[in-house]
Parts: sequence; C-alpha cells; structure tokens
Amino acid sequence: MKNIYYLLIVLISFSSCKTDKKKDVPNDEIAKKEQVVNIYTHRHYPSDQELFSKFEKETGITVNVVNADADELMQKMTEEGEQSPADVLITVDAGRLVRAKDKNLLQPINSEKLNSTIPKYLKDEDNQWFALTKRARVIVYAKDRIKPEQLSTYKDLTSDSWKGKILIRSSDNIYNQSLMASIIANIGEESAKKWAEGMVVNMARTPKGNDRDQVKAVVAGEGDVAVVNTYYIGKLLNSKDPEEVKAGNGVGVFFPNQEGRGTHINISGAGVAKYAPNKDNAIKFIEFLASKETQEVFAKANYEYPVNKDVKPSELLQSWGDFKEDTLNLSILGKYNKKAVILFDESGWK
Amino acid sequence: MPNRHYLKRDFNNWSIYTLAIVIFIAVPILTIFLKLFSGPGETWQHIVKNLLADYTINSLWLIFGCIILTLLFGVSSAWIVSRYKIPFQNTIEWMLILPLAIPSYITAYAYAGIFDYGGSLELLLRKVGISMIKIDIMNIYGLIVVLSLSLFPYVYVSTRAVFLYQSNRLIEASKLLGASEIKTFFNIVLPVARPAIIGGLFLVLMEVLNDYGAAKYFGVNTFTTGIFRTWFSLEEPNTAVYLSALLLLVVFVLIFLERLQRGDKKYNLALKSDIQLPKKNSSKKFQFLLFGLASIPLVFGFLLPFLQLVYWAFLTYSDTISIAFFNTALQSLSISILTAFLTVLIAVMVLYFPKWNRLKFLKDTPKIAVLGYAIPGAVIALGVMIPTLVLDKWFIKTMKQVMNIDIGLIINGTIAILVYAYIIRFLAVAFNPIEASQTKIGKQLSESSKLLGKNNLVTFIKIELPLLKTGLLSAFILVFVDIMKELPLTLILKPYHINTLAVKAYEYASDEQIMEASIPSLLIIVTGIIPIILLNKLILGAK
Repeated sequence: MKNIYYLLIVLISFSSCKTDKKKDVPNDEIAKKEQVVNIYTHRHYPSDQELFSKFEKETGITVNVVNADADELMQKMTEEGEQSPADVLITVDAGRLVRAKDKNLLQPINSEKLNSTIPKYLKDEDNQWFALTKRARVIVYAKDRIKPEQLSTYKDLTSDSWKGKILIRSSDNIYNQSLMASIIANIGEESAKKWAEGMVVNMARTPKGNDRDQVKAVVAGEGDVAVVNTYYIGKLLNSKDPEEVKAGNGVGVFFPNQEGRGTHINISGAGVAKYAPNKDNAIKFIEFLASKETQEVFAKANYEYPVNKDVKPSELLQSWGDFKEDTLNLSILGKYNKKAVILFDESGWK
Repeated sequence: MPNRHYLKRDFNNWSIYTLAIVIFIAVPILTIFLKLFSGPGETWQHIVKNLLADYTINSLWLIFGCIILTLLFGVSSAWIVSRYKIPFQNTIEWMLILPLAIPSYITAYAYAGIFDYGGSLELLLRKVGISMIKIDIMNIYGLIVVLSLSLFPYVYVSTRAVFLYQSNRLIEASKLLGASEIKTFFNIVLPVARPAIIGGLFLVLMEVLNDYGAAKYFGVNTFTTGIFRTWFSLEEPNTAVYLSALLLLVVFVLIFLERLQRGDKKYNLALKSDIQLPKKNSSKKFQFLLFGLASIPLVFGFLLPFLQLVYWAFLTYSDTISIAFFNTALQSLSISILTAFLTVLIAVMVLYFPKWNRLKFLKDTPKIAVLGYAIPGAVIALGVMIPTLVLDKWFIKTMKQVMNIDIGLIINGTIAILVYAYIIRFLAVAFNPIEASQTKIGKQLSESSKLLGKNNLVTFIKIELPLLKTGLLSAFILVFVDIMKELPLTLILKPYHINTLAVKAYEYASDEQIMEASIPSLLIIVTGIIPIILLNKLILGAK
C-alpha cells in the first residue's frame, strides 16, 4: 500500500508546482504586485484587442482574455463558481447577458459614469450589465429589383407577395432568436408563432450560411430580400474580396417598423462577474469601453452604433440615415429567448 | 470467501496502477453517464415531437452517404496505388493522406467559397466567358461529399497497409487457380482487408458524428448540432447529454451490425515475411486512366480547398499576420506536441498495465479507452470539468485549513485540464496503432525475457519498446494532427494567454470573416503535412 502514498505525494507536489505558474489567483499579495482584469468575451474582433492594449497602457492593468461563445463562457463560470477568475463577461447580445444575470453570474455595480452615458433601455434595471455597442436587424433588398417603398415591417414579410423571396439564416442564430423574442414581447406568443410560420412559407431556401451569405444570395438572385445585422453590410463593403464589395453595393438597407415600434436592435454588452476577484478594475474596464474616446474606435471599427450619446456613428452608418429604434427593454429578450427557440422549432424554422 | 482469496493472491502493484489509470480515464466518461440518470429536461418532449426525426434522418443519411463515398474514394485509391504502376506513383501515394491535414469545417468553408456567388468557380467561368452555372452545395448532399472528401484518408491509410503486405500470397494463389482480377478483388482481397477497412471507417464515422462546424454552416441539423442547440439555446445540459447518449447508441448499433454480419469468419492469416508483389505494368493509356482515378479524391479533398485558402490568404495576409499570430502558432505547436506525447504514454500504460496485473476484472480495461473518441468534444469538456472542480474545491479547502493559504483553482483554468481532456478524447487514436504493433510482436520475446528473470518494466523497455517504435510514432503523429485541429474542447477549457490556431481560425469564421480565417487554417495544414509525410514513410517502412 506504500505505493498509494507515493502516488499522493507525487500528485500533490505536481499540483503545487502548478500554482506558481498561475497569475490569476485572487491572492492579495499577488494582486498588489500586479494589477489584472480577467475578461471572458464573445467578441472576437481584432479592433477590440487594440483597445485592450490601450487600456493596459493607460491604467497599468493587465488584461487577460478568454475568447469563446457566451454560452460556453457562462457554463464555465457556473462550474467554476466562487473560484471563477472572471471579472468581466462580454457578450454580443442582450439575451445572453440577461441569462447570465438569471444564473446569478453577475453583480450590480454603482458607476456614475456608466449611468450617465448609457440610456436606460440599454442597461439592466439593477445595473448588472450595460450595453457597449448597438446593431440593428434590418431588411436589405436587391437594389435592381425592389423599391424600398415595397417594404414596411417585419410582419409584412409574411404576406403572399414575398412568397419564395425571403432569405434569412437558421434559428440557431442568436440574432434571430432575439428578434423573435422581441416579437413575442410586442405582439404575443400566438401571433409570433404565426409570423414565424409565415416566414418559413415565404423563405427562398432552407436557412443556411451566415448573414453575409444571405446578402450574397440576394445579389445572386436566389431571393429578393434578406434580414441581416447592419454591421455585416459594413463588413461586406470593406471586404478585401472585390466580389464581396460588389455584393454589399448591390443591396439597399431598409429600417423596418418605422411607423410602429421601431427597428429591432441588439447590443453587445458587459457585466461584472459575481465573484470578480478584481471588481474595481472590472468597473474601470467597462467605464473605459463606454467612454467617449473609446467608443469612437470601439463602435466604428466594427461598423456598430455607439451607445454613448455623445458619439456619432461612422459615416457609412450615417449614410443609411437615422432610424427609430425599438426601445423595448432589452431584458425582455433574455426572458423570451427559450420560448423563441421553441416556437421556431414548432414552426419548422430550421 | 474465495473471492477474497483470489484478490489477495493475484493482487500486485500493477493492479493499483491499472486501477489508477482506469479512474483517470473513466471518471469524465462516468460523469456524463451519471447525468443520464438525472433524467432529461423538460424540453425532451418538445425535441421528440419537433426535432428528433429530423436529427435522426439527417444523421443516418450522413452516415450512409459517407460510408459509401469514403469506401469508394479510400479503397479504390488504395487498390490502385498498391497494385499498379502509375505516373508519379510515390507522390500520389503520400499526397492521398493530405486531406486529413485540413479540418473538415475549413474544407466546408472553402467549398462554400468556391461555389458561392462571386466565388472562385464563377470568377473562373467568367474569365472563359461562360455565365454562372449555380451549383448549390450547401445542403446534406454537399455535406456528405465534403465530409467524405476530407475524411476518406482514414480508410485509405488502413486499407493500403493491408493491400501492400497482407493479401499478396492469397492474390498469387487466386491467380494461379485461374481467377480473374475482379473476382480476386471481391472474393479474396476485400474480405481479407475487411477488418482494416472497418477500422478506418469507424474513425470516419466518429468524425462525421462529431462534426459541428460544417453541418451548422451548411444548415443541416444533425445530432451534434442538436446537442449544441439543446445545451446552449434551450439551456438544458441534461437533455443534451441524453441526445449524446442516443448518438452513442447509434454508434454501438453500427458496430454490432458489422460484427453480426462478419459472424465467426476470421481472416487473420498470420503470414510471416510477406512478399510484396511487383506492381502491375500496363499500357500507358491505362496507366493515365488509373492516375486520373486515384487523383480525383486528392484534387477535390486537398488541392482545391487548399488553393481556395491560399487565394483568401493572399487577399487578407496584410491584416492578419502579426507577431501575436506567430506566438499563437508556437503555442499551438507546443501544446500539441506535449499532449501527443502524454497521450501516447498513457495509451502504452493502458495497453500494458492490465496485462501485467493479474486481477481478471482489470484485464478488460483497455476497452474503455476508446469510448472518449465517440463522445462529442463539448460533452467531454463538461465531463472533465465537473469532477476536476470537485477536486479543485477540495484542495482549496484543505489547503486553507492546513496551511491557511488560498491556492485558487489549480486544475481548472490551467493547461492541465485542457491536456487531460485532449487525452480522454484522443486516447483511442493513439491506442489503436500501438495495439496493432503490439499484436504483431507476439508474446514469445517478452516471455523469454521474463523467464530469464527480467521484470515487466525492464522487458518492456529493452525488448518491446524498440519493436513498438512504428506504432508509437504513428500514434504520436495522428494525435498531434488531431489536437492541432481540435476546436470545441479547446474553446471551453483553454486558459488565458493560451491560444491555438484552430481557435484563431474559428474566431474569424464565427465572426463571418471566413477569408481572414485562411491564414491560421493554412498554418494548421502546413504543420500537419510534415508529420503526415513522416507517417507515410513509417507505414511503408514497417513490416
């Protein structure tokens, strides 16, 4: 039986070696030596990385980043519990932030700066999360075949005149789930299901590919209109592939529901983790991202709309014109997310 | 209590080690199985009603289609290169393994890029003045073709080894008795090669069932995309685990059906010093025809997607290449090498410890080693996290009580857990070639050594290790390439500061910057090609 003890000794000495390597330990002594903030983020944009470096330079706080899907990050935080090294959770949609709050993964923070820069409907009522950028889910149309006057609302897309003409991606996609959640919140479950069924009937093809692919399919003539996020149009227009630029130029942007509740918007946003070992740094970090100087770059680099009221969107976005946003409190999106997925399944939206 | 008696008599140190390693491997897998008993979540009914039929039909179609196509590509090309003289013989032979170097979701993206609006095919046709013929490949048939093209080398590699060295005497005999070439192939060659073909096919199926990226992009709902959807969109990990159990069931049924059909027939002819038949010489025309046939899977499985990636890389390199990028490449490389080494080490332990131990019930333990390969990466991540967190928390508590220090998480969030999960996932990949080599060695040598008074370990190091070299190296290379490509596990478990090329490629792709994903993908491919060439040399050099 001696062997078991040897094994244990080896195991323990092995694991104690491990601790030296770990910088993210919420240990007071270490924290004094090196200021860090640990970010769990679903945003994978190179421009973000540059801003993180800027934050490091300005504050001397080291930014550690884990990149993954928001769902996986939340699963990770749940499993890690009190020991989670995460300070800030960043997601690319409101629904996930609400879910993080419901799962008790975030904590309320008190920041004058954030309260004054971010409008009420773009943050959590308990100050557990804050929007950082906005994107609108719009209708794009083939410029050569369709006139913008033919378009009006999301609901109108289910009318007979659009049969076989609509392109939209799979219901797996969170942007579609959030759009559906907003529709459930606005017109009720039953009508929302009818809307989804109507969309399925009118689809030009089984949903596949991503938002960029929907735009390309419009230009290729597979359908006449597509429902996509604004920032993908920006990306197409600035693509390295001349064919993609051509596709971006081939479509016009239409903001639906301008007479009614406004165009559905979604956000990317951030919250401070419940067990954040570096809470102060986390708040500083989010404030930095919402500040005027950062927002100029943060939103523009990715063709998103800034949340800071003092910052104007990029020229391209301005060229599409101002629009009325659906100011539905974004917390609702999280509340109806699961329902949205179930209704999608029932209506046969792949 | 006779049982006790046996326990005492047969118990040795190796039993402890075997048990330790069994626990090491089985705990994550058991964790997942235990989740099954907590019952499916509330949406199970919803899934059964609205989705299960779709998942099942699509997955079965995929399995069926990929079996047919990988057999066609793999066996035919293996037969041609091992039996006939063709132009560029040697080059074709090793290049046919290359599709394995491209992660299948990247192949899928590349193909979408070729057939897309404004894609390479259209540009090309435009140049020669033909207007676009739109071929839609983003559907289940396209997916079958793409997956088969990227996975057929599993069948090719295992089949070719048999064609080269095992069936030659039988072929000669068959010929002498006047059987035709075709008859010989179907009545002699194929049945003898069957276990090897099935072995390769099994790997193909596991990869097909595990595929997430390609199926999702092509809009085909399979069990695996369903697992992700229920886990993350419907927030029901328990139901997701239920779905993966069903997936496992499909796998077991397939294995069972094959066994049933094979029956008692055994073709394991232990022919020693196999002769290699001279390759058949034929007319120039016929040679070129064969050359063309053998090149088809190579061109479509590797060259075309590779060129598409090179084109994209050419468009985007100025934005993506930076020092940080090379750092990522280096990290990717070192993690893969380290983990591949450890996986091989553990595979050897899994193979030998149970043999050296004398307790009967521990003898069969190698069988659990292969289970990890059948479980989707994301599910394994969960299975690894749950038990290690318990351990982590226990460590933290004890250390606080005993030494009054807070040590934080020591397994989770470090590279240890990532490596652990890789090992569980890829143990089967390492285990199979090592076991194959070990079977060839036979028992005589090691038993003589033991009769001469050497113990197990010394015998192993002095006698068996040198003979196992080929198997060990093949195992190392296969695991290395697999880890370079691995995605879902890495995403969930990777620590800060660590990034891999596959993750980098995914980050770009998930943000719809598929062109930008080309450079990390190309690096994965290039780092994969070198060991693959090596692997080929090994197979040819082995007897």
